Amino acid sequence: MTPFFAQIERDLMIAWQNRQDFGVMLIFFVIIIVLFPLAIGSNTAILDPLTVPFIWIAALLSILAGFERLFAQDVRDGWLDQVSLSQLGLGWYALAKAISHWLSTALPLLIMTPLMAVMLNIPSSQFSTLLVALLVGSMGLTLLGVIGAALAEGARRGAALMALLILPLAVPILIFGTLASQSEMGIINPHLMLLCAVFVVLLAIAPLVAASALETGEIESGL
Amino acid sequence: MMNETQINARNTHAKKWSPVIGLRIRDLCVLRGMRLVINGLSHQQQPGDIYCLTGPNGAGKSTLLRTIANRLPVARGQISCAVPVVYIGHDDGLSGSISGRQNLTGWAKINGFAYQAAAIDQALDSFATNRFADISIQRLSRGQRRRLALARLKLAPANSLWLLDEPNASLDQATNALLDAAVIAHADSGGMVLAATHFDFAIAASPQIITLPERPE
Repeated sequence: MTPFFAQIERDLMIAWQNRQDFGVMLIFFVIIIVLFPLAIGSNTAILDPLTVPFIWIAALLSILAGFERLFAQDVRDGWLDQVSLSQLGLGWYALAKAISHWLSTALPLLIMTPLMAVMLNIPSSQFSTLLVALLVGSMGLTLLGVIGAALAEGARRGAALMALLILPLAVPILIFGTLASQSEMGIINPHLMLLCAVFVVLLAIAPLVAASALETGEIESGL
Repeated sequence: MMNETQINARNTHAKKWSPVIGLRIRDLCVLRGMRLVINGLSHQQQPGDIYCLTGPNGAGKSTLLRTIANRLPVARGQISCAVPVVYIGHDDGLSGSISGRQNLTGWAKINGFAYQAAAIDQALDSFATNRFADISIQRLSRGQRRRLALARLKLAPANSLWLLDEPNASLDQATNALLDAAVIAHADSGGMVLAATHFDFAIAASPQIITLPERPE
């Protein structure tokens, strides 16, 4: 397991050195949430049912926005060559990337969420339901982003291509996530279970898809 | 004295093949896009052998090294290598945001090599990089990065195959001597070296030369 944790450790060190990038993402998240009520107006009858969807859409956009550069730097530095020759293997590498990316981007966002929920006047009894659903949902979105980033790696319009590939696939997470966050049945509800199912399927396939994409992507680039 | 072996024609593999203990390439063809970059190359290398890969720009030197490193698919033919491979390509494989020491430690860990501070220090020492090993890579010069990339070689096991892509391209004279010494010591202890270079390389050990022919466009 040492190679796996070494990759996570390395990514977290690099993330800490570039922490202003994640600061920007966090501010992006806050701004999206603030913009919705400004556009809709102060009518609480309209606003109240929409607050949880606001948080979900903001989370989805800001998590997926951070992905275009996930593998690009490693490819440019030649680190990917070193990884593919090492004991680690590209599948474990992709999973390590997902974990470190989640820790450095989605986790700060989750920590910020209660503050946003207070701002949007979401009842405090709903906080834990919302946070648990967001926790699972953000992990699923991260895995989707890893697939997208690996597939788009090396393509000329990588970022736009990634959005086209990934946003449709994020729909189930968005649907189950918003339903689970607003459920009256407590934290563990059927929607959350379906969300977990989506996450588990992604956990199984994302490293494999990313590994094969990174392997074949390499064929076309560089001399 | 240099021992020149032209390995380009498909019918050169008439010589007898011994069982794989080193590197063996048989009738290798590699495609880049729609172009045949390497056409019917055969090559055999035993522990202790140093080979220099020469040829004009675009002859396929980097392509050959990347193919042996398993980063490019083989269109036809066979590559067998029984030992660990260390590949130092055009890119150094160092992240700009962290220091050389951190890069080297991470590299040793993902490869399962010795990553204790003593081993890392020794590797850093061998290319005289201690002075700048704790500064983040993006503040170092091209040659300094190259030295840190090459310091990785010292962490690999003694029997490994070193694939070096223009290792001495941006090195100063003193570091060049260190590289030559490292290469010769590696070959003496039973390792293999295959280096693509346009410059003098490990002259003291009189490496064998493989010249790749210019590719018809």
